[in-house]
Amino acid sequence: MIARDIRPILSALIRNRTGAVLVALQVAIALAVLVNAVYIVKQRVDKVGRPTGIDIGNIFMVSSVGFAAGYDHAATTGTDLAWLRSLPGVRAATLSSGIPLSGGGSSNTLYQTAEAKGEGTPMNYFYVDEGGVDALGVRLVAGRNFRADEILPEDPLQHEAVPSVIMTRALAKALFGTGNAVGRVTYDGLGRPVTVIGVIEHMQGSWVDWDKLDHVGLLPRHDAGPNAVYLVRTVPGQRDAIMKLAEEHLAASEPRRMVQYVRPLDYYRDRSYQGDRNMAIFLVTVTALLGCVTALGIFALATFNVNVRTRQIGTRRAVGARKADIVRYFMVENWLVTTAGVVLGATLALGVGFVLSRAYQLPRLDLYYLAGGVLALWAIGQFAAWQPARRAAKISPSVATRTV
Amino acid sequence: MMGYYFKLATRSLARNPGITALMVLAIALGIAVCVITLTVHHGMSSNPIWWKSDRLYTVTLDSWDPERPADEKRPALPPPDLTWRDAEAVTRSGIPPRAVRMYKATGVLSADETTGAVRPERVLARVTTADFFAMFDVPFRYGGGWKSAADTGPEPVIVLSAKMNEHFFGGADSVGRTIRWDDREYRVIGVLEHWHPAPKFYDVNNGAFDDPEEIYIPFGWAEKLELRSAGNTNCWKPEDIQSVADFLRSECVWLQVWVELPDAAARERMQAFLDSYVAGERRSGRFQRPNNNRLTNVNQWLADNEVVGNDSPLLVALAFAFLAVCLINTVGLLLAKFLGNATVTGVRRALGASRRQVFLQHLTEAGLLASVGAVLGVVLAGAGLWGLRIMYASPQTGFTGLMHVNGWSFAITVALAIGTSLAAGLYPAWRIGRLAPAVYLKSQ
Repeated sequence: MIARDIRPILSALIRNRTGAVLVALQVAIALAVLVNAVYIVKQRVDKVGRPTGIDIGNIFMVSSVGFAAGYDHAATTGTDLAWLRSLPGVRAATLSSGIPLSGGGSSNTLYQTAEAKGEGTPMNYFYVDEGGVDALGVRLVAGRNFRADEILPEDPLQHEAVPSVIMTRALAKALFGTGNAVGRVTYDGLGRPVTVIGVIEHMQGSWVDWDKLDHVGLLPRHDAGPNAVYLVRTVPGQRDAIMKLAEEHLAASEPRRMVQYVRPLDYYRDRSYQGDRNMAIFLVTVTALLGCVTALGIFALATFNVNVRTRQIGTRRAVGARKADIVRYFMVENWLVTTAGVVLGATLALGVGFVLSRAYQLPRLDLYYLAGGVLALWAIGQFAAWQPARRAAKISPSVATRTV
Repeated sequence: MMGYYFKLATRSLARNPGITALMVLAIALGIAVCVITLTVHHGMSSNPIWWKSDRLYTVTLDSWDPERPADEKRPALPPPDLTWRDAEAVTRSGIPPRAVRMYKATGVLSADETTGAVRPERVLARVTTADFFAMFDVPFRYGGGWKSAADTGPEPVIVLSAKMNEHFFGGADSVGRTIRWDDREYRVIGVLEHWHPAPKFYDVNNGAFDDPEEIYIPFGWAEKLELRSAGNTNCWKPEDIQSVADFLRSECVWLQVWVELPDAAARERMQAFLDSYVAGERRSGRFQRPNNNRLTNVNQWLADNEVVGNDSPLLVALAFAFLAVCLINTVGLLLAKFLGNATVTGVRRALGASRRQVFLQHLTEAGLLASVGAVLGVVLAGAGLWGLRIMYASPQTGFTGLMHVNGWSFAITVALAIGTSLAAGLYPAWRIGRLAPAVYLKSQ
């Protein structure tokens, strides 16, 4: 039945092939773009959606900089922290040497032995105080938090050794081969020992494009002035109100410093992922437009074909073809053209995917995406041809007997 | 004759307004997307000091860890910055007529008592030797830079960006006035014009499209005030650093060095100087990696640092794929339309119109369509770029200088529009011109 249908359609198509070839070409390019674009978007969305390990929605940052004569960094930060921690609605606050996910931060290298031989393991570190673990909202799964008396005073050259560290399980695994690292000792480049006193389940560090984003360590030290960065965690729903309060109070409480900014932590996350997000938005927009243009093109061309073939359709109806036969004729014709395009497009999509994976170190194109793309284009084609096919079926047999 | 073709074309286009609108819109969207991506890509990959690219070189030396390269992903490259002592030795060679060593620091800029109450601003400062301004052709609105003597003093002089001059002095000529930076008084000797080299080629660390620093102070303040770097400081060697003097002697890299070399001879002399300097240091136990002393020009420097990024060429390719689909679409529709109207053409041919005339007539219609599409496309592209600028261009995110419709994007647009109308119109017009009139007259 279908085979009998297809032969005359095919021969008609081949005799009048230019329009069909053009539609097939569109479908091919659309498939290649669609499949690869969706694949890239999926990777970007996954990247942005990775768990941070941090209570990111309830944290804000304050940056204060002392600049006038007589500014006392230790006293000011002490007062500020005491005030912040006293606010109802604030769960915890800490001084921090960096802002997670911001793109700026510090790292050093840890070694297995005091001789600092062999391949070291990089650690993205943050100087925090006893409030650090709570203020970040990270989950301590083994060991303990820093005590207030363990926090080292500021030290601009970072000359004094830090004796203890709380690290992520990922970093512990990289260093010791096990996440259960409490009590284990690692060494910095100068061979000074650092003891693991706590392990946190997971935390993302500073650089979202770094492959060791979760190799994070918290070190007990007050960061050097005159810049102080506070990381403040509030109870859900109160962050914005407390930010406003903090900005007003801190700016007025000490005229020898300025409050550089008060910003939510997700501001930094969003900024770091801005390139990925823009890329995803652009890809989705252009791919959607491309789908629309292709669908409209198929639709317009099918409409035209119906108009041109009015007499032919009328004749077919007059000699006994049912409405359903006419609809089927156009749907099958469209399906054949789309399929030709899809076959060409699949090759093109795989080729583009291959080039992309080579040039940009992306994983190879997943074939499920290709299968999905093929189905989508078949659907788009049939959808676009449906209305013209229905119009064709409405042509009355009497048209055949009239002259135009 | 063209006037007549034009009239025919407008009539024909008005006959099927839906399809005409679809074709115009397809061309417009295709062109708009291409112009937007190309403008942004061009902005990112341009050399903001192209007129001096054969004279400006940055110096990099491989003083890194004997065990591993500075950047595992690009092992052939030395670290992007220099140590304090290497930077000093290189800029004091006396070979380049101009040389700078510099880095960025941060501090709070605040108003002097005479200025009145203005909100203090925490700003990045470029701590640099005197040649910076002349070497990079930095435009001044008022005053100018400092003399080399001010570097060694160091003299308390400062150059302000246009933005800071606006903030603290309301945009007035502030040369000779004083301003405080980290609670120390400086005399304003120069105010810059708005200057946003994109990319920020002279220091691409921490964001190649960041705005330049807001203030400039003589390099001598680095040591005198023990100003820490606000940019990258990378260290590979375990060293016990107990004082700032220790730090300045360390193997940490954090300074940018640029030299201006007017000709090949100067370049060769500079290269020879670098090689002999490194050989000397090697004898005293430093520089244990393979010899890799580089003079890199601006273009190569931007390429080495992958300033353009991976996404931008991908977006341009996508835009052209989109334009291709739009064009194929238009060709298909035009062809269908021309053929659908072949009886009229047949009559014209039978009445004596030549193939050439029929071809030109249809090409006029395609050209008119593509021109309208191109104009609409430019409008859309302009709106798109304007929207992008509103959404994304800010000092925090950079990109300020990228999204401008400039002469370059205008030229690209015109080229695209002409190419598009030819591509869309030639084939259908040619096909219809080749029709034998009899076939179409007979069938009726």
